[in-house]
Amino acid sequence: MRDLKHLQTFEDLLQVANNPLIGQAQSEGKICVAYPCENIPEPLLNLKGAFSVRLFAPNTGSTDIATYYMTNLLCETSRALLERAIEGGFNFADCMITPDGCTMVNRCAENMQLLQTMGKGKERFFWQYMEIPLKCDDNGLNLYVVQCKNHILTPLQEAYGLDISDAAIRQAVEEHNKVCRLIRAIGDFRKEERPRITGYEFHVLTLATYVCPKYLLIDKLEETLEELKTREPDNRKYRARLLVVGSELDDSGMIKLVEETGAYVCADRFCFGSLPGRDPIELNDSEDALTQVCRHYMVNCQCPRMMNMAKVYGRKAYVADLAKEYKADGIIYEQVKFCDPWAYERTLGSVMLREDYGYPVLSVDRPYNIGSSVGQMRTRVQAFIESVEIKKLQRGER
Amino acid sequence: MIVKQEDWSRPGDQRLGVLFDGGKVRRRREWRGVKDTLYDYGRWVYIMSILARFIVKPRNIKAMFRYRWMANYLAVPHMVDKFTMGLRDEPLRIVHTAMDFVVYDVAQTMENIFRGDRRTGNDKKFSDKCVLTDENAMTAFMMGFPTLKAILREVPTMFVANLLNQYSTTHYLDVAQAAGIPGDVCPMPEAEAGISIDDDFAVLGACAVQVNTTCDGSLMGNGIIAKRLEREYGIPTFQLVAPMRHREEDVQDYAAQDIRNAIAFIEEHTGEKWDWTAYFECAKRVNDITRNRLAWLEMNSTNYPQFVGAPFSLYNDTNYMGNCGRSPKFPPIDRKIMKYAQHGYEAKRMMAPEYRHRAIIWGVQPQYVIDMLNWMIHCWGIVPLTDMLSMVNTRQIAEEDTPENREQAYYDMAWLNENMIMRNRTHGGYEVLVDELWQFCEQMNADMVIMWEHMSCKALTGMHGQFEEQARERGIHLVWVCHDLCDPRVYTRQAIRDQLNTYMRTVMREEPLDPSIEVLPDEKAW
Amino acid sequence: MPKYIKIPLLILGIPAAVFAVTFAIYFLNLDMKLLSKIEPFFLRHYDKMPRESYV
Repeated sequence: MRDLKHLQTFEDLLQVANNPLIGQAQSEGKICVAYPCENIPEPLLNLKGAFSVRLFAPNTGSTDIATYYMTNLLCETSRALLERAIEGGFNFADCMITPDGCTMVNRCAENMQLLQTMGKGKERFFWQYMEIPLKCDDNGLNLYVVQCKNHILTPLQEAYGLDISDAAIRQAVEEHNKVCRLIRAIGDFRKEERPRITGYEFHVLTLATYVCPKYLLIDKLEETLEELKTREPDNRKYRARLLVVGSELDDSGMIKLVEETGAYVCADRFCFGSLPGRDPIELNDSEDALTQVCRHYMVNCQCPRMMNMAKVYGRKAYVADLAKEYKADGIIYEQVKFCDPWAYERTLGSVMLREDYGYPVLSVDRPYNIGSSVGQMRTRVQAFIESVEIKKLQRGER
Repeated sequence: MIVKQEDWSRPGDQRLGVLFDGGKVRRRREWRGVKDTLYDYGRWVYIMSILARFIVKPRNIKAMFRYRWMANYLAVPHMVDKFTMGLRDEPLRIVHTAMDFVVYDVAQTMENIFRGDRRTGNDKKFSDKCVLTDENAMTAFMMGFPTLKAILREVPTMFVANLLNQYSTTHYLDVAQAAGIPGDVCPMPEAEAGISIDDDFAVLGACAVQVNTTCDGSLMGNGIIAKRLEREYGIPTFQLVAPMRHREEDVQDYAAQDIRNAIAFIEEHTGEKWDWTAYFECAKRVNDITRNRLAWLEMNSTNYPQFVGAPFSLYNDTNYMGNCGRSPKFPPIDRKIMKYAQHGYEAKRMMAPEYRHRAIIWGVQPQYVIDMLNWMIHCWGIVPLTDMLSMVNTRQIAEEDTPENREQAYYDMAWLNENMIMRNRTHGGYEVLVDELWQFCEQMNADMVIMWEHMSCKALTGMHGQFEEQARERGIHLVWVCHDLCDPRVYTRQAIRDQLNTYMRTVMREEPLDPSIEVLPDEKAW
Repeated sequence: MPKYIKIPLLILGIPAAVFAVTFAIYFLNLDMKLLSKIEPFFLRHYDKMPRESYV
């Protein structure tokens, strides 16, 4: 396939956490709201005058200092983020809001705060931690609304004077949806038998929407969508179509590695992915926008920390639905090393998807930066793809 | 800081190392002088009578042959010996009073489990009046159900089993890891998941209530257990929420509402109604428990601590969390312990000839060498003043039955649930874990912190650097003692003790009080 | 032996003998030594049991 016109631009944006678009947005007078976890309603961080940046640590090498502070058994994501913060890589942030999603990311943020890694010279900088529901029910929704008011909206209004009215939230949701619809429209091409976008390319585009000011990407995303409509797909058959499911994955190298083995990553059900992270939020006029946004995040949340059994079973059903919708031949359940929630979710998910839904499943853990373990991962993925191929042959498929 | 008694003497065995010969059990029991040996013998007879009464029942014999974890209960007297090593006078009596009652209480729990268990007793009528709860759950939401039994199924199966036999979990950890759970998660919920995967839990109850207790691993392990409970055994489960940021005012409504939801769930599945009279009776006992614990802690702040170490922690676990005011059998035990403690304090009773260091024990204890706290008194003269798991609720809850208090009661139950042992420190932000430790050091005149570093406990190790730096700033000796909670294959008992030995010899430049126990050949021991 | 001597001797002797035996068991840790020998038989039994192991 011909290279996408803006792919290089998007790839460049992902080389550092402090990408040039952040500086551009700040020079336009907007404040940067940093956050480390998907369990936070993104549009609330993108009210007029603000933009959100999800923290990530591209090209991580050593995490020695973070390992001193948090030991080598904390998940590599949390250590990579802390290391980057200590290095000064997140100094661009104007505040940091951390949902108490998992213990490790929470500890990571606390260490960032105690070590005063951010906010230097920024008088209005603040740290906030918020409780988020552990179950999907009315009680959880009430909590979510209160927490968003107390730990997102009020601090943003008090520190930076942002408009947090219902109208402002609706406007932020509309802008959020614009990006979501673009990403979903682009992602829908992955359902084609001969897809005109690779899983890697798609991940690069999606990832950029989390770590850059969204509004500065819209024109390029629109152009890319138009480009894709006429893009001629490669005349090749992928060895297997794979759905990647799992924990936080902000290293596109992992998707690239899977695709280099001849597979196609047809869907992305992981943090920093588009499913369900880029589902548009549909608002009605009969209820306040904040409650609706919170409900959207609570109902759509696929994070394993949601512990009621309807959610536990629902997560596997959601993966099975995606596998069907995106015509996956197999599923990779991945987990960043030392992540407790996904350690269990990966086990239960891989068993249920295999036994209850009949999909071949590869269950793996991986380093934060796949570059440190390419050989091992490639061997496992290759073996899995071969097993998928053999199963297809046994079923009489080509 | 050193407290020394020149005329201190210990009747009987002076060098405790003589009791160890490298086998599974000890060479012989300790000679404590005539009076204390006879006392200890009397308690041994009592423990044996509990075991005999338990095992004569056919359903319990059946359970012995059905459940692998039951074999660990052969080691009950051995466990009690570990906790009483080197003790005389009041401290010996305090430990026996506390631990013997824990043994009795666990035996009662097992009686109930096997009575209702579908595979052994199969008393369906009884089983329908049982509610399964987590091992690490406050049973506050059961305080108003006097006709129901809260069955903490994982306590005898996993928690206590590991106190009895250091290798009790290894089989289940292997099962869990063979099923795909990684080896780097906390081994406690992992072993519990392994027990479920291995189908080695007793099966009973009208319903089950799980709580997001100590950690992400515990929360996630519940999913695996609940799946089997619901899908295979048809036992509906409820997931009760304890907020993570439990000190924040803006989470309390959420927590209280979920207590209401849990109660409604239990009412629906058992047909029982919440009884406010029973609740407030229990609330009075909860307050009594709190007052007693605070009194013991106050005594431990003086030069003559009496109720310390693992028995202090385990008794509090049982009384505060597992019992949570529901049983009237605990208050007399509390009073008996208090009487001994006051006598001991007045007599300035010491467990070793000198207390060189006053230590707060922080972090999560290694379950299979929890008696190390007793060992370090005798070996190094380090007196454990308190431990993290005992630093729980200090508030008095509403105990009079009024309309306002009925509403307040939901918040009180939620507060207790949030302040379950361990999770009240591992969750709630670094302040409750780090900052409050230094406050406790000051309050209790501690010069040392023994930091159990449970290597798979992410909440604890996530603050490793902060502990280290802040202790240094405050001039507190912080001794890292790394372990893997309940997997002795990762850290042996001696490897754990050696970390303290090395610190005491190299940093403190001290010699042991009893060199015969500096290295113990107990790798093969129960 | 006359009854008035035999009965008190029995009354004192039986408890004394019970005490002597149980104290010997207690002090020499014979109870634990015996039970520690039994444990391996149980473990072998558990290993042989069929199990429905699954997640």
